[in-house]
Amino acid sequence: MGFFDSLAQWLGVKKKEVNVLVVGLDNSGKSTIINHFKPPELKNHEIVPTVGFNVEKFKSKALAFTALDMSGQGRYRNLWEQYYKECDGIIFVIDSSDKLRMVVAKDELDLLLQHAELKDKRIPILFFANKMDARDSVSSVKCSHLMGLETLRDKPWHICASNALTGDGLHEGVDWLTDQLKDVLEKKSRKK
Amino acid sequence: MPACPSQRGCLVALLDCRLTNTKYHTTTREGKNDKWLDAYHDPVASIYTFTQCLTLSDIQADGDWKLIVADLGTGTYDMKLKVYKNTTLMSEHTIIDLPTGVVTFYMDTLEPRTPAIAVASGPYIYVYKNLRPYFKFTLPPLNIHPLEEDLWNQAKDDQVNVYSMREMLENLRQEGCSLTVRSLRLLQLEAGHVEGFVNLHKHTPLKKQTVITCLDTMKKSVADEDAISCLVLGTESKSIYILDPEAFTVLATMDLPSVPVFISVNGMFDVDFRIVVSCRNGCVYTLKRGSKDVSKHMIELNSQPVGMARINKNIYVGCMDETLHCFTSKGKKLWTVRLPASITTLEIIDYKPRSFAAVLVALNNQEVHIYKEKFLVDIIKMDDIVTGLQFGRFGREDGTLVMTTKRGGLFVKILKRTAKFEERALSAGPPVAQNQKLNVPKKTKLFVDQTQRERENAVVMHRTFQRDLAQLRLKVMREYVKALDNSMNPISSDPMEPLKLSAHVQGIGPTFKFTVKLQNTSLSQASSNLLVTFDYDNKLYDFRKKMIQVPMLVPGLTYNFETFVDCLNDKGVTENVKVYVLKQGKSVPLITGVVSMPVSESIVVV
Repeated sequence: MGFFDSLAQWLGVKKKEVNVLVVGLDNSGKSTIINHFKPPELKNHEIVPTVGFNVEKFKSKALAFTALDMSGQGRYRNLWEQYYKECDGIIFVIDSSDKLRMVVAKDELDLLLQHAELKDKRIPILFFANKMDARDSVSSVKCSHLMGLETLRDKPWHICASNALTGDGLHEGVDWLTDQLKDVLEKKSRKK
Repeated sequence: MPACPSQRGCLVALLDCRLTNTKYHTTTREGKNDKWLDAYHDPVASIYTFTQCLTLSDIQADGDWKLIVADLGTGTYDMKLKVYKNTTLMSEHTIIDLPTGVVTFYMDTLEPRTPAIAVASGPYIYVYKNLRPYFKFTLPPLNIHPLEEDLWNQAKDDQVNVYSMREMLENLRQEGCSLTVRSLRLLQLEAGHVEGFVNLHKHTPLKKQTVITCLDTMKKSVADEDAISCLVLGTESKSIYILDPEAFTVLATMDLPSVPVFISVNGMFDVDFRIVVSCRNGCVYTLKRGSKDVSKHMIELNSQPVGMARINKNIYVGCMDETLHCFTSKGKKLWTVRLPASITTLEIIDYKPRSFAAVLVALNNQEVHIYKEKFLVDIIKMDDIVTGLQFGRFGREDGTLVMTTKRGGLFVKILKRTAKFEERALSAGPPVAQNQKLNVPKKTKLFVDQTQRERENAVVMHRTFQRDLAQLRLKVMREYVKALDNSMNPISSDPMEPLKLSAHVQGIGPTFKFTVKLQNTSLSQASSNLLVTFDYDNKLYDFRKKMIQVPMLVPGLTYNFETFVDCLNDKGVTENVKVYVLKQGKSVPLITGVVSMPVSESIVVV
């Protein structure tokens, strides 16, 4: 990093960059959540099912995020693990109104946690219990119980109910993730 | 909590979710590599139905597939058409009669592409569109027996006595004529109710209707997923009807030799089609477009069918004798698998994303077996007997298995993304060694010549062999007779003196102990006045007792008589010794025993 970059960062003009992986089942609202953080002029009005993955960039109050918006369709889910190595944080989106597929989400989460790249890595995971406005949605507490999150001890995690259409709950979640990632980055720079 | 139809429903759902969750946890902790995720679990859903009355369809064209169930209720009331969205009951319609089949089909080309639901019940097809009753189709009435019609006409004008009418109807029934439901009911009634029944019904015109037994769909002219489909139905009157979906007219009828119970259709009505039906007489028939001959590709089963499914060109039939058969469309049997319990229902898995096709067989021992070809690839253990199976897309998940059980439970399982069905047989098959080729040497010229000779002279060789065999037998018989004549055998053939003799020699020589055992084999008769003596070469042996007096022999007991024998020769020469049992006053011995003496050791002088 050059001198000017360091200076800019110190002054808070240029933000530190982090990579996050956005995963979850199909139709859980991953692209809609990412879409919400984008500046108004870049926003999509029509969200279509993602094919493969999309790379999106957005900024929170302290960090610049590079989000890999993965496709959640069954046939693309084996792509997720290709990007576990280079990500600093994970956003796992759950459709809280789809009780039937909660076990599928849990199964995918278990596969993710047991993966060799992530098993021993203390990586923060943010859960969005999305679609909280839906009529038959379950609460975030219930959702975390159904996903078996209480057994997840070796990684910092946070769950918040969200509504990607209106943006409710999204900032709360990303603020938590920003704090976590800042800690991680500080530790890293101290080591250097 | 979000709004729920009822507080109780909420609680039950909550409880169930918890149940599912804990159950799932235990399986993962055990480290069991289960292929199925337990998505929903409600043992008290009170759904009583069969595979034919279950279907999965996108009836609202929103990508969220619904489960459509025709609930048989108690069998007499509470019959309902239920639609589940996700795990919640979305709509419920009462059905008047017992449902026999449910299908969804596209009946028009309107957008959005919402399919209609058809429920077969009695002689009617009820069609629901957008979850509202839309149309009721009635099967054309059958011809009434002229005599029966005549009788009812007479009853209408009071020209006939109800009791004589009943008698005549009974005669008709016994002759084997099929009667209308009304006449059959009349015959069931007790004498006191007959008059009232006739008076109540005689003014309404007599109709004879049949009952739908099975229902399926067939695309009309385009093979698209959402193309217009015809309804294909089998009836109790041994015929198949094909209905036009737009006008609800009968497009075609086909007659069968028996009542169809399971039906499977492929192809298109306007192009070419095949209808495979299994019937109550234990036969499977294949009907083709334009062909009237039903017996051409007939499959005869050993037992009555309890389920039938088709994957591509193979027909899978489950029978009452606990077997699962697979046939080609031509009717050739490919294999048979014997199952550990009787079959309750059968359904196919056709999971296109993984191109996995298999047969699900629900058994009476609360298990569901999955067969890929003839190999058992998985077993799902349940807490109850599964009566209804449906595999397909439910909600937004492609590989979903919906099961209903005998006690009214509803279970939903989802195929894991990482599940792998190994094709090797879990059950014991032929060992691998059986398929290894043995290194058999080539035929030699000698072998070929010999074979040639044997082939040419077969008759002569056979005759020679037979003659030699006959001669051998003759010789044996002659020797036997000779032995009997001379009493040379150790068992007496004389009925007056039934005796059995055995002799042993003990020791290594030159002195042996010679034991003669005598037994009287008669039941009641004692033998007396017997002597035992020995015939031997007196240059070789010396018996210390030359003759033994035998006391009276009591029947059944064995007597031992012992003597010592000295061998006089030390050159290792041996000879046979004969033991005679003699009767006083008879010159021919009663029985003879021949004992071969062992080689004697020479005397060791110390």
